[in-house]
Amino acid sequence: MTMASFKNGWMSRVGIVVLAAAMVELISIVQYERVRKIMQEEMRYRGRVTLARLSDEISHALELAETTMRENLYYVKKSMAHPDSVNAAMIHLIDGNSHVEGGCLAFIPYYYPSKGRLFEPYATKNKDGTYEVQQIAGPDHDYTQNGEYIWVMDHDEPSWTDPYKYGPDSVSFTTYSYPIKDASGKIIAICGLDVNLSWLGNTLNAHQPYPSSFCIVLTPAGDLVAGPSEDQISAQVVQEVVSFANGDIAQSDLPGLSMLKTALHKEPYWQLVQVFNNDEAFARIQKQRRQQVIYVILCMAILGFVINRYTKNERNLLKATEEQARISGELAVASNIQKEMLPKEFPSYVYGTLEPAREVGGDIFDFYARDGKLFFCIGDVSGKGVPAALLMSMTHSLFHIVTRKVDSPAHILYALNSELCRGNEANMFMTYFVGCLDLYSGELSYASAGHDRPFILTKGISMLEAKSNLPLGVFPDTSFVEQSCVLEPGTTILLYTDGLTEAKNVARQEFGRSGIKATLEHFLSGSDQTLGSLVTSLSDAAHAFAGEAPQSDDLTLLAVRFDPENQIRDSILLKNQKSEVTRLSSFVKEFFAKLNIDHRLASGIRLALEEAVVNVIDYAYPYEEEGTVSIQADSNGKEVRFTITDSGVPFDPTAMLEPDTTLDAQNRPIGGLGILLSRRLMDSIYYSRKNGKNVLSLTKTIL
Amino acid sequence: MITTIKETDERFIATLSGELDTAAAQETEVALQPLLDSKGKEIVLDCTDLEYISSSGLRVLLSILKQAKSVGSRVVLKNVNDVIRDVLDISGFISIFDVE
Repeated sequence: MTMASFKNGWMSRVGIVVLAAAMVELISIVQYERVRKIMQEEMRYRGRVTLARLSDEISHALELAETTMRENLYYVKKSMAHPDSVNAAMIHLIDGNSHVEGGCLAFIPYYYPSKGRLFEPYATKNKDGTYEVQQIAGPDHDYTQNGEYIWVMDHDEPSWTDPYKYGPDSVSFTTYSYPIKDASGKIIAICGLDVNLSWLGNTLNAHQPYPSSFCIVLTPAGDLVAGPSEDQISAQVVQEVVSFANGDIAQSDLPGLSMLKTALHKEPYWQLVQVFNNDEAFARIQKQRRQQVIYVILCMAILGFVINRYTKNERNLLKATEEQARISGELAVASNIQKEMLPKEFPSYVYGTLEPAREVGGDIFDFYARDGKLFFCIGDVSGKGVPAALLMSMTHSLFHIVTRKVDSPAHILYALNSELCRGNEANMFMTYFVGCLDLYSGELSYASAGHDRPFILTKGISMLEAKSNLPLGVFPDTSFVEQSCVLEPGTTILLYTDGLTEAKNVARQEFGRSGIKATLEHFLSGSDQTLGSLVTSLSDAAHAFAGEAPQSDDLTLLAVRFDPENQIRDSILLKNQKSEVTRLSSFVKEFFAKLNIDHRLASGIRLALEEAVVNVIDYAYPYEEEGTVSIQADSNGKEVRFTITDSGVPFDPTAMLEPDTTLDAQNRPIGGLGILLSRRLMDSIYYSRKNGKNVLSLTKTIL
Repeated sequence: MITTIKETDERFIATLSGELDTAAAQETEVALQPLLDSKGKEIVLDCTDLEYISSSGLRVLLSILKQAKSVGSRVVLKNVNDVIRDVLDISGFISIFDVE
């Protein structure tokens, strides 16, 4: 993953969270506004209810004063017959109404001539519940100049004064002035009732819908009649509200205040103003809204976390998938490499197949021919897959390196085992079978490292007598038993791995040796006797047997046949004397006469052979004892092989140093040329010491 | 193996015919003995009929060459066939003899 794509992924994740948060927030805002509107309506409704109630209460209180006046009117009028009885009437007047604190009767000038121009008895309630009546008119109090008096006289109807403060406690009052007329309808006095308004503030704010909502009463002119007490709401706020309600200021300096107004329907037409604090009214939903924001942030954090985890998982999955693809790709390459390791071209006398159960496998088969000998092997690494494949690859290389120099299957196994045991930390091991078939003589030497015994097909079917040694990779110093036999012409050796014997069908039954045997019998009765056909029929039979069941193990088959048809063989026994070279020459000429071979090539081969034989005569018998040198000549028409066997002292001519052919005549050594010529003229010269004899084989392709 | 030697004023001309194999080397060496005393004359070995030569044969030729070189003479191999040439090639003798 690149930095850019990581950044993009990160940004897109943040984008998703932000978008989700924005959507939730948007819904929240819309909902909040809706609730707010509903609550506002509710607030207004409650406000209106409150105002209606207050308006009723105030009207009722004022009406009560008006009623008091009407009820006492007759009595007051009657008392007016004599000035001295007026006092009692006044006391009676104020006695019946708790809100009425005082009452006065302002007579028109000179009504009672005895009382002078002005006469105004004024009754008040004392705190101890007694009454007191005073005559309050005088030079310093000329009520005829009073606006209220004048207004009532002029209009001839009752009136309420605007509220005013009075007395030591500065209590609010309003006065109801009522014109009293004589029988002719002429106003003779104006009766005033002083109504204490101190209760009004309490009444107004006793049952407010919200803790800090309040109500004020204003005169039509906008003067404050009553409001909340100072300890409830500050005078400053009240004054602000009054100004705002009167329209003196366009905008309230008190944000968050909303108000409702109503007015009494009759005198004194006071206005009632209900004031709300929006913050308070909406406090609950605002609180809820704040909580909601916290919830949203919390939810978004969780969402972000979930998305992050999800994308991380997604990314891991993607990574795993890429990794898988990479491994698959590498396995495919490994599989190809492994397939390339296997032989692809088969001469008529050998054929093999390998079907891995997985991409790569631990089975191997291989063969290698030199000096007229076929080296073949089959192996099965314990386990499957890559570790097995690595071991398999290793033995593949080793087999080729070792068989180049070593003839003996036991020695080959020893060499392979030593290498495989080196640093075999995984404790892997491998069953292995190596054979060396002399393609001319049918001589077969072989050694098995714990591998299944091969089948032998002649006219019938048998199994090769093979001693089972330890598998490769177990102990470094294992020695392997080698066995040998001579095959009849036409004999076939069939090697296989347990992928064949242990091929299972769906019922978990194994193909087994019986399955192999049955297939081989069927093969022997058939017309196509090629090794390819043999291997294919076995592989097909195993697959047919397994049916739907998956292949559980690598399936490897290798068939080798001793098929000496079209071969020319001849031999001669020479004494260890140089004069015998003449006989050798004749022998070689006769042998070549049977082959279609170029003269120049034939001369070269003859020279190589002569030099090798002379070497044996010169060096294998250092004490000039009598001995023999036997020569076996073989050819299949494509190559010739001469095998020189002597019973002299061990002598390996291939180990001799070659002379320097670039020296000048004076410095040229006389000896050493023979083996040089042999080497150069032949494709290969191979020395071995076998059964106390020196065996030297010289091979050359003649086609 | 048949060898004949002719001596002129300037050179020895030896004709080699047949197969100079290991068995024939000794008798050939004897037969060519006169060439080991070339008296400074050029030695020509006519190989027209020489069919085959082994390392023992080469050794005989080498001893003649060494003697001739020591007295400032030279050895010419004439009419060498492919088989012989192969052997001279491999052994490197082609560079120390004058092969015509």
